Amino acid sequence: MTNAYSRFLSALFCLFLGGLLVWHVLLPDRARSDVENRTLAQRPEFSWSALVDGSYTEAVEAYFADQFPLRDQWTGLKARAEQAIGKTEFNGVYLCGDTLISKVEAPDAALVEKNLSYVQRLREKTDANVYLGLIPSAAEIWREMLPVGAPSWDQTALLAAAAELGLPQADLQSALAAHAGEPIFYRTDHHWTSLGAFYGANTLLETLGKEPLSREDFTLEIASEDFNGTLYSQSGVHWLTPDTLEFWVEDTGLSLTSWRTGAPEAGSLYERSYLKEKDKYSAFLGGNQPLCVIKNEAVTDGSKLLLVRDSYSDSLAPFLSQRFSEVHLLDLRYYRLPAAQYAVENGIADIVVLYSIPNFITDKNLVFLAQ
Amino acid sequence: MVFSSLTFLFAYLPVTLLLYFLVPLKWRNLVLLVVSLFFYGWGEPVYITIMFVSIFIDYTHGLLVEKYRDNDRKARWFVGQSVVFNLLLLGFFKYWDFLADNLLLLTGVQLPASITLAGITIPLRNIPLPIGISFFTFQTMSYTIDVYRRDAPAQRSIIRFGAFVTMFPQLIAGPIVKYKTVAAALDHRVNTAEDFALGARRFCVGLAKKVLLANAIGALWDAQLAAAEAGALTAAGGWMGLAAYGFQIYFDFSGYSDMAIGLGRIFGFRFLENFDYPYLSASVTEFWRRWHMSLTSWFREYLYIPLGGNRGGTAKTLRNILIVWFCTGFWHGASWNFILWGLYFAGWLILEKYVLKSALARTPGWVKHLYTLLVVFVGWGIFAMEDLGVCGGYLAACFGGAPLWSAADGYTLKSYAVTFLVLIVASTHLGKQCWQRLPDRAQNVLAPALMLLALAISTAYLVDGSYNPFLYFRF
Repeated sequence: MTNAYSRFLSALFCLFLGGLLVWHVLLPDRARSDVENRTLAQRPEFSWSALVDGSYTEAVEAYFADQFPLRDQWTGLKARAEQAIGKTEFNGVYLCGDTLISKVEAPDAALVEKNLSYVQRLREKTDANVYLGLIPSAAEIWREMLPVGAPSWDQTALLAAAAELGLPQADLQSALAAHAGEPIFYRTDHHWTSLGAFYGANTLLETLGKEPLSREDFTLEIASEDFNGTLYSQSGVHWLTPDTLEFWVEDTGLSLTSWRTGAPEAGSLYERSYLKEKDKYSAFLGGNQPLCVIKNEAVTDGSKLLLVRDSYSDSLAPFLSQRFSEVHLLDLRYYRLPAAQYAVENGIADIVVLYSIPNFITDKNLVFLAQ
Repeated sequence: MVFSSLTFLFAYLPVTLLLYFLVPLKWRNLVLLVVSLFFYGWGEPVYITIMFVSIFIDYTHGLLVEKYRDNDRKARWFVGQSVVFNLLLLGFFKYWDFLADNLLLLTGVQLPASITLAGITIPLRNIPLPIGISFFTFQTMSYTIDVYRRDAPAQRSIIRFGAFVTMFPQLIAGPIVKYKTVAAALDHRVNTAEDFALGARRFCVGLAKKVLLANAIGALWDAQLAAAEAGALTAAGGWMGLAAYGFQIYFDFSGYSDMAIGLGRIFGFRFLENFDYPYLSASVTEFWRRWHMSLTSWFREYLYIPLGGNRGGTAKTLRNILIVWFCTGFWHGASWNFILWGLYFAGWLILEKYVLKSALARTPGWVKHLYTLLVVFVGWGIFAMEDLGVCGGYLAACFGGAPLWSAADGYTLKSYAVTFLVLIVASTHLGKQCWQRLPDRAQNVLAPALMLLALAISTAYLVDGSYNPFLYFRF
């Protein structure tokens, strides 16, 4: 090795390491990452006590990694490298052609049993009709698209367990399976599309004895053709065509009240400001909130529905509001008062506990149903 | 801090290199000592005190041994003190819990959970293990013994000695550098551009082995272990899991050794090689000449030969082999499975030495390789599963106590086929041979490209960072 060549190799090595260090130092720190949908670690405060107990150096490592230059690009490069060596699973997400599908791990059996029993307890506590609506995720409905032999927990086992307990259910599994050939789930997000929610809504309406909706009643609005969802972030697979986000239900005649801070505030069916951000699905009802009520002045029979729900209902509720005077949406992650009491206070006759199966088997807040 | 972390690669290392090469030659040992202490203190700042105590005691004992070298009894007495001190250090931090638990189990005697000395309560149980203690205690023991045996002169400068003990490239995961290997370089070394370049190249190879190869296969082992615990393991899954673990630990550990050797070379030290393509071995005996060579040679030199080696007849040789392999196993961790693992290999080594020798000589090569891999990979099963019940169930599944195959195995095999192929090829001489056949010009063009590629893809994996455990870190 000649001296000049040695110097060249050494310089290359130092430039890569030192160059990224300099870049890191010069790059302004970011408060949050939209792609990862979380706040990023900031430069930690030094203190001797934090140094001694080890939390300071840990915080520095977290800060250094979170603020690393080109963070999202590195993650994308990693996914590309994995793809090159034949991997189809990326951080718990399967790449199935042009579609990302989140893998469902086998749940903690005790938690599942408890969550089902909480629904049972709610039935015992209230005079209202209680239905369980379990939405299978793409990993179940689109199981045939998964890589051959790729493991994903059998979600129908939960439906069977619920049936065994005698819980009245809305059969969303059959409804979605019947339309499995259509784009009922996003390709880059774990939620169902407006089309999927439409089929889901009709299943619920049928269960609740209401007249189903017809596709012809709606004029589609393409809200965004540039939607990169949660699975895009989780997997690091950044090369798929973005999803299209559709609004079906027009918001005329509908009024929406949100309790985001504890007090009622007027909201809107579609919070369009989210369409400019990464988290576009939150445009439906404006995203997570403890309680939300949609009133439809066109429906005059005074019928009221309570959904105890996760985020799948954000895109579903506009459809249901077509057949009810009031649709109440309650999120147990943020709303901690008894659901049974809420139904009594608001004169609600029908309650649907509506969860996507991956959420139902892992959620630790369903205990509030039993109160 | 571990080498395969963003903070090490992009903050600690560039700053350290800058400091080291900016200061004049005579200050470089001091810089090395200071940055190494910082490196050590990063993870557990309190334990820097152990470093100071260790440096001070072994430094003074080295001088004492040299001073009394003409008085063999006294010299031996000081060597003994140093060895006892190091073993007590290791014993307290690494083995105390194990000893206390088993004492309670076997005799019902409960050792105190803490002691109070002069009003200060010192906990005795569940103390976190200081990183690298298994490595640096062995290195400092080698120092006083080398001085006693006149293999190296005592080090008069406490800075230089401190630099030897704390030297960050090999501090936390070896290779175990004997004092005599680096004695001369500590006193005067030359830093050449060629050493830097070759060291940097070696470091990149090690980084890629650790981050790209070892981590890539680690998840497979975790999945099979989980399947075993859930009672869903198949025989095919079991063997894939053992192979995955075998590859993971090899690329993890040898990658770390490569990084250590590379960094050492950048700073002007030549450490001895630690691995020599162990999975190419045609016998278990050969495997242990090629695997973690710095540890096996340490035990041979400082335990097996002092015990009499194989010179005292069959019975004594057997005893010595058993002692050495009991210690080798126990060194890897304070748990029964490691002892079992050590004795398992003692059994095979004895068998090869006294029974299989002539049979092996007549066996075709590929059978010998297969036999060796089988013994070694089953050994990894014992090594990897501390719970002997789980371990038993796992190995039973491998040997036909479970369905042979499932659809999930097909998916696993398909997902990991390319990875396995790369790992198999990387375990052989093939890469090196191809490289050496390339004309110089091609090498000169490819080397920087491959280095950059290794650095960039490793960085991508580290930033992604969901899976980056370091197996040998706690040893």
